[in-house]
Amino acid sequence: MVSIAVTRNWLRSRSGLLFSFLFPVMLLLILGGIYGNPDSPGQAVGQNTASYFLPGLIAAFIMTNGVIGLTNVGSELKRNGVLRRLSATPLTKLEWVLGNLLSQTILALALAAVMLILGAALYNISVLINAYSLVVLFLGALLFSGVGMSLAGLVKDPEVASGLGNIIAFPMMLLSGTFWPISSMPSYLQTVAQALPLTYFADGLRNSMISANFSAAFTDLVVVAVFALVLVLLGARFTQWKES
Amino acid sequence: MVEPVVSVEGLVKRYDGLAAVDGVSFEVQKGEIFALLGPNGAGKTTTIEILECIRQPTAGSVKVLGHSVAASHGASEIKKRIGVLPPEFGALGRLTVAENLSFFAGMYDTSVDVMGLLDLLEIRSVAKVRFADLSGGLKQRVGFAVALVNDPELILLDEPTTGLDFETRRITRKVIGDLHAKGKTIILTTHYMAEAEQFGDRMGILCGGKIIALDTPAALLGKFGGGKTVIFKSGGDAAFGTLRRFFDTVSMDGSDVVLPFERLRDLEVALTALVGRGLEVEVVLHSPTIEDVFLRLTGLKMSDTGEAN
Repeated sequence: MVSIAVTRNWLRSRSGLLFSFLFPVMLLLILGGIYGNPDSPGQAVGQNTASYFLPGLIAAFIMTNGVIGLTNVGSELKRNGVLRRLSATPLTKLEWVLGNLLSQTILALALAAVMLILGAALYNISVLINAYSLVVLFLGALLFSGVGMSLAGLVKDPEVASGLGNIIAFPMMLLSGTFWPISSMPSYLQTVAQALPLTYFADGLRNSMISANFSAAFTDLVVVAVFALVLVLLGARFTQWKES
Repeated sequence: MVEPVVSVEGLVKRYDGLAAVDGVSFEVQKGEIFALLGPNGAGKTTTIEILECIRQPTAGSVKVLGHSVAASHGASEIKKRIGVLPPEFGALGRLTVAENLSFFAGMYDTSVDVMGLLDLLEIRSVAKVRFADLSGGLKQRVGFAVALVNDPELILLDEPTTGLDFETRRITRKVIGDLHAKGKTIILTTHYMAEAEQFGDRMGILCGGKIIALDTPAALLGKFGGGKTVIFKSGGDAAFGTLRRFFDTVSMDGSDVVLPFERLRDLEVALTALVGRGLEVEVVLHSPTIEDVFLRLTGLKMSDTGEAN
């Protein structure tokens, strides 16, 4: 019930739709148009091809949905008194948090489906849908939802929360191997990249969906799972429900 | 003896050592409208939020519908049976009015007649309009409908008409009257004295976190209203000086001259004296109001925006 209402509320936002779906599709078309996809099924993934970019873009925009989108929405609901009103109903904070996590998961799966279908149709990207890719997708959505909920709960001013979300999201997107391989960056930035959850999320999708490198995907999955657990717990902790 | 719906004893709420509510006690019986009247910052909203179980008391005992607000099981039981209208109601902005009602209704085990609620609050025409696109008055009416979505036993209305348009105030007051007639128990907070007097079966006057008077409006007026007065509008020093020769109790309020009305004979004497001096003034017979009660008890006047000075 919460997840349906929250998802519906999100999808009816023009800015939400543009940023959540149109923008990533646009980037895929641009990058695919520039680099194309000379990879054949079964061939090792080239580093400047649509096959390389697709999982990174999916991961990056699931990240921005959580870190920017959910922060904005959460802050807005807090400011408009919606959370205050909800806390006077029998709805528990846990139900509210789980509902939002489920909503973000639904949006993440929808985004991934759109991107994968386009990638296969336009660039002949050969995608593997398996348990690893689905679990990584799910965990990645949870992870960044936790970040968004934490920011929305901790920061009083919605504009400041939104700004902080952008400051976190865009450098992470640039440093995590979304647009170029991490190995092409200076060594000190590679060190930074290794500390970023998006790196493992993007690699996890790349390894499970494209390269079929399941042992590497498993390692990425474990790292994403640990980040997700910590950040979801923090997000739940910082979501203001009633006065503590 | 029937247990009261609400029982508050020695309620204290402190923020950083400052007492927003400082030893408040009252009971509300079933089917009663209890008005909490006071200026901004008096502690009304804090008190009501504690009854709603979204704030915890610092000290004191608060029971709603037989359950303690301090116990988590008690709080969840209370929330199933109360309806709440906060001062500025917020809902999911991109859902329609009907969708928001259904969303809130889904949190309770009771079935709800969404259309019936829309008709009650006269908002059926905007059922398919997104909440964010509504005016402030319509949003509050949606909030009132949401407060009734579980057919609650106790309804908590925090400043239900403050700052709203005439039509919304009219509808809100009508619905409060309807709910009262159905035997619902209502607690409302307000800084509108006339509203408290009109609706409250009993009222508590809150000032500085304390209840300074608690009784029926008639009893409060009798105890603290000071009796009827005759006001000679804009009579000025001339009228005052004339009447002072006959009455020790005459006083001035600005340029108005005020005489306690005890006997018809006094009025005759006053009018004769004024006419004899050639003074023509407007005469108003003033019955005490809750505003007078508040002024006598606190020495303060309350403005339409709830500021007391």
